[in-house]
Parts: sequence; structure tokens; C-alpha cells
Amino acid sequence: MIKSRLLSVLLIIFIFAALPAIAQEATPAATPASTASATQEASVGCVTNYDPNTDYFPDKVKPEYAKGWTVEYHNSYKVVDVTTPWPGATAKDAFEYVLVECGTPAPSGYDGAEVIQIPSGKVIALGTEYVPQLQELGLLDDLIGVDSVALYSTPEIAQMAAAKKLIEVGSGASVNVEAILDAQPGLVLTFGSGDPTYDTHPVLIKAGVPVVVASDYVEQSPLGQAEWIKFTALFYNKEGEANAIFDQKASAYDDLAKLTSTLSDDQKPLILWNSYSSYGNSWNIPGSESFAAHYIHDAGAKLVLGDDPKLQGNNNTLPFDFEAVYNAGLDAKFWFPGVFGVKTLADLVAQDARYADFNAVKTDQVYNNDARLGAGGGDDYYESGVANPQDVLADLIKIMHPDLVPDHPLVYFRQLPPK
Amino acid sequence: MNQTPIASTTEIPHTSSRSPLLIVLLILLIAVFLLSLALGSVAIPLDQIVRVLLGGSASRDSWTQIVLQFRLPKALTGMLAGAALGIGGLQMQTLFRNPLADPYVLGISSGASLGVALIVLSVGTPGVMLLAGVSLFSDLGIALAASLGSALVLALVLLVARRVESSVTLLILGLMFGYGVSAVVSLLLYFSIAQRIQAYVNWTFGSFGAVTWDQMQVFAPAILIGLAIAFLLSKSLNALLLGETYARSMGMNVRRVRRWIIVSTALLAGAVTAFCGPIGFLGIAVPHLCRSLFNTSDHRILIPATILMGGIVAMIADILTQLPGTQLVLPLNAITALIGAPVVIWIILRSRGLKAA
Repeated sequence: MIKSRLLSVLLIIFIFAALPAIAQEATPAATPASTASATQEASVGCVTNYDPNTDYFPDKVKPEYAKGWTVEYHNSYKVVDVTTPWPGATAKDAFEYVLVECGTPAPSGYDGAEVIQIPSGKVIALGTEYVPQLQELGLLDDLIGVDSVALYSTPEIAQMAAAKKLIEVGSGASVNVEAILDAQPGLVLTFGSGDPTYDTHPVLIKAGVPVVVASDYVEQSPLGQAEWIKFTALFYNKEGEANAIFDQKASAYDDLAKLTSTLSDDQKPLILWNSYSSYGNSWNIPGSESFAAHYIHDAGAKLVLGDDPKLQGNNNTLPFDFEAVYNAGLDAKFWFPGVFGVKTLADLVAQDARYADFNAVKTDQVYNNDARLGAGGGDDYYESGVANPQDVLADLIKIMHPDLVPDHPLVYFRQLPPK
Repeated sequence: MNQTPIASTTEIPHTSSRSPLLIVLLILLIAVFLLSLALGSVAIPLDQIVRVLLGGSASRDSWTQIVLQFRLPKALTGMLAGAALGIGGLQMQTLFRNPLADPYVLGISSGASLGVALIVLSVGTPGVMLLAGVSLFSDLGIALAASLGSALVLALVLLVARRVESSVTLLILGLMFGYGVSAVVSLLLYFSIAQRIQAYVNWTFGSFGAVTWDQMQVFAPAILIGLAIAFLLSKSLNALLLGETYARSMGMNVRRVRRWIIVSTALLAGAVTAFCGPIGFLGIAVPHLCRSLFNTSDHRILIPATILMGGIVAMIADILTQLPGTQLVLPLNAITALIGAPVVIWIILRSRGLKAA
């Protein structure tokens, strides 16, 4: 008797607990209405008297440098396409997001798209590059979770984690879906690689989490990557702020690039620039269309092996034989090794005695991008450096043409001391 | 029960008739060595190379350096590493009477990987810096970590080997150690930063080019000692082919021999992994190549043959890592596997044919 009553009570509890989940499962497209109650903070700024003829987005953004995304504005919603979610992605890999202003109806006719209510409110960032964007847009208070606190070098992240304001959810296929569901974020920002074993978004899409693949790393130019602040702003109607922030950076960058544009060819130093992952026999040298090549060009320098036919048109790095790099790079004036765990030139030469033959090593002209390391070893060059290409470029010009930017103190790069 | 394809029939006596073939291999080894000095991504005229090798200097300084500081240590490293992996594989195949055993079967390379992963993935974080005081992320630091890692696994295996009678049990335990250690590595990778993961992954690609003359002073003696032990063991290895019981009945101390086989293999595989990364396939493929070429299972022939053949194959693989006509370089492990995989397939097909016959 008691047993059966207990059973029925349990059954009722179970049904009630399961109802929201079932409802969500059944009507994935009807999210604006259902999530409106879920994210109460967001509903504060919701539209109350919907008027189809009102343009709810007076401030608009348009990507000028970034090539990985597009946006199309309508009166009460924005259609955002991430066209290149990873290098080599085809049209069928693209993601479409319909950003619907809270309190207005979701449009029809976007079947394959994910509907996301904006302003998005609570956000979880699964990549270091999103934190500077959120910070500059004044949205850091909305951040409720990251992949792993140790990876971040922005000091606020450690503080927020210490104050228990952040959850850590990991990333990849083993991301903590339960913790994310429990936190009820309005937005989860992540990037894609195209490989389902490493990517986070397939799991989260399956779980019905409003996840957005924001692969800013596919951009080939520094300004293109920094322009993704506009993308993040779309989800918070912060377009006005984003335009102001980015325009300032872009004009600072362009002014710096102008300084070096008048240099003659023999005023441009030959530099050795290899990616962080060089080891032993193979050195990763950036291709002519790569991120690093843009910086090197704009800083008024020439890349060792830069005229190799294999590098032309390449937007990544290619592995070169150390012998070839040695032969071509002996006389380079500067070396940017992009290493980690190296404090001094002596440490660097301890990795391989042959490094000592480089002219740049002999003349102490070796600069590394690890001037700002976080407590967990995260390099701010890959965090706030992504958002501030004008500072990175100023560093490079300061190193190679100090007369052009006499007042700029190095931010991300440091000269390796001899000992 | 102990019947396997590799412990096949050939009788031991006619050693001398096979020495001409050994001489051919030796000549081939020298030829490939010279070839690997002559070929590289920087085009250097042959006469200049010869001049440098004879103690002179080339018309360009960088050419002298490239021959002496790059090609010579790299060719030597390849030769020694190939010989070491071949002998390591031969000893393991004989000890376990398993044609698919390789020098890493006891978990030695996993131990080395753990050492390297600890260094590469955690250096620069405060705790490790305090422990180290100096830069651990030097090539010698990596080698040291790898050696410590493999020594640790070796110690475990030896400890177990003292208690365990059956070699098969030892084999399974070695595999289990390997899995356990790999699990720790994947945990480290999971919590690490992208740049560091990339550096670790690059190490796993393998390379003969990271050994400079400084490191050669450690690398070469380690390999030579390992090879010397193998030479001394050749009669005992022959006895083991006929089964442990038989070897014991001939008055051999099986446990002691087994211990020395493990020590020699660990030294060989550990040194190669430490300085060149975990290089696959050579250890499996080279002994089989020699067995079929010499048509014998006599270790007095197989050991010198495997040393020569290992050196030849490794240096050829290294030459092939350079994409012809470019200055690009491919991962060594991709090349060894490209050579190794067909050989292993061929072995499997062939041994089935033997069984049927």
C-alpha cells in the first residue's frame, strides 16, 4: 500500500521534472517564447509592444576585414552566417544563426538555422579570444563559465573564479554538458576544427544549448580576427560600442602600417619567424597569406624563406627542413622564435647548439611573444593580443624600426636576455 | 605450444656461407651513409662535400656547417637509431617468441612519452620551475625526461620479471604499463594549452635531426653499449628460440638472460626515444627483413645483419622525409610507417603461407 503510493508520487515527480525537457525536445524552433522565461535577466530589456515596422537595431555592423561571417539585418531579427567555421570548410559546413530580439516573434523560413534570443545574457566562453571581446564590450559580468580557468591570462578571470562566479566546463566532446545545461547560459561561444573528436559544438547542439561556432582563428589578417568583436556584439545589441572600439583599433593599425609603407626594400630587415611548434628537423614557416606574414609585411620586414614558391598563397605554415632554414636564416637580423618555457638566450641555445650560429642570436636580437604570461602559463599574446593587433604591430615596428614609434613600450614581445 | 613462424627450422652451423651477404650489406650501409651526406634540402655540390669531409672547408661557410653540424650527426643518428630499434625488436621477438613484438612492447616508449609530456606540457608553470630551477625544455632536458620515464617503466618491468615465470605474462604486463602511462599522457594533454600540445605532438613525429654533437656524446655510447650486450647474448638468444624449458635444460639461467635482454632493449629503445622521439615500425620490420633475406634464425648472423639493415633502412627513411625538389620536410614516423606497414603485411601473408605448406 505504502509502497505503491510512494511509487506513484515518484512517478508524478519524474513526469513533472521531465516535462520541460520533453517540451524543449518537441519544439526546438519555438525557443524565443520558452527561453524568455528561462533567462529572466535577459527579459528585462525585452520588447513589450512589438511593432513589425520598427527597426529594433538602429546600430549596425558590417565586417570589412573579417571574411568568416556575414550579417543581414531585419527589423526585429538578424541573420548571421558563419561561412568558414574551420579552414577548408565548404558551404554545407556553414552555420546560420537567427538572432531574434527578445519579445518579438521568431521569423519563419530559416529551417536549418539555430534561433537565438538576444540580448543573450549569461554567456560561457570556450576559448581565450572571447574574453577580451566581452571585456571591451562591458559584458564581463555576463560571463558565467569558461573551459579551464588556468588557460586564461586576463586577471579578471582568475578573480572571478576565486569569487566562485565562474564554472569550468572543459571542452571537446567530453565537455561538461550537465554543468552547462544547469547554468542555463543564453549563449555559448566556441570555435570549430571540423573534427568531431575535438569539437565541442556537436555535443552542445545535441543537448539543445544555444552554442555558436565563432572561429575567429580562420581569419588571415590580424584586423580580420580583431573584427570578430563585432560578431560577439551582435548577440548583445552592442553594435555601436563594437564599431567605436574596432574603428579606433583599425585606424591605429593603419596609421602604423603607413609608417612602414614608405620604407625602401633594403630598409626592410630580413627576419626569421617560426611558429611555436618547431622541433628538431622541422621548422614551421608562415605562408605568404598567413596571419604572421601580414604582421611581418605591415611591420616593414622580409621573411626568411618568404620567397619560397611553396609558401606563396599559403595561409598556414609549412614544415621546412632545419638545414634549409639554417642556410637561409644565418644572416637574418631578428629572430622571433615563438617558443615557450624559455627565459634567456642561453636557454634557447641549450635546445640546440646550432642556434648559436644565427646572426640574430650573436647580436642578441631575439624577441619572444611571452612578455605577458598568466599564472597557469597562458600567453596573453594569444588572448588580448588577438583583440589588439595595433599593439602587436607597434611592438614589431618598435623592435625593427625603433625610430618610427619612439614612445611605444613593448607590450607582448620581450627581448631575450643573454643569460 | 611454442611453435611460431620466427623460430623456424634453419640449423645453426653454416655461419660462414652467409658472410658475403653481410659484406654486401656493409657496403650498402656505407653507400647510403654517403648518400645521406650528399642529399639535403640545400643543394651543395659533391666536390664541396668531399672537401669538407676531408677536413677542408667549402667555398661557403654555411655549407661547411651544414655538412658537419647537420648532415653528419643526422646520418650517424639515423644509422645508430635504426640499428638500435632493429636489435631491440629482434630481442623482443625472440624473448616473447612473437613475430609482432617491437622494442616498445614493454611500455618503454610510453614511459619516455610520459617524461616528455611532463616536461613539455607543464614547463613554465610555477611548480615545475621551482623544481627545476633551470630550463628543462632543452633538447637534453627532453632526453633526460624521456630516459627517466623509460627507466621507471623498465624498473617496474624488471621488478615484475623477477617474480613472474612466464614471458607471456611479462608481455601482457608490459602492455598494461604502456596503457596506464598513455592514459596519464592523455590526461596531461587534455588540460594543456594548444601551443604545448603542438610541441608534444611534434616530438611524437620523430626526427633524427635533433641530435647535435653535444648530445651524440650521450646517445652514441648508450646505443653502442646496448648493441654490445646484444652481441654477448646471441648464443643465449639462439637457445631461447627453442623454448625456455629447453634453454633451461641446457643449463642456461633463463631469468638472468631475460633480465639482460630487457636491459639491452630498454637502453636501445630508451635512448632512441629520448633523442629522436618514438620512432615506429623499424623495430618490427627490420628483423623480419633480415630473417627472410638471410633465411636463418641464428642470432650470430641476425644481430650483425639487423644492425646493418636497421642503419640502411633508417637512413633511407630519413632521406625520403625530404620532399624532392622542395625545402619541406615530412614527419619521420610517417615515412617509417610507409615502409614498415607493407613489410608487416608481407610478413603476415608469408607466415600464413608457411603454415599452409
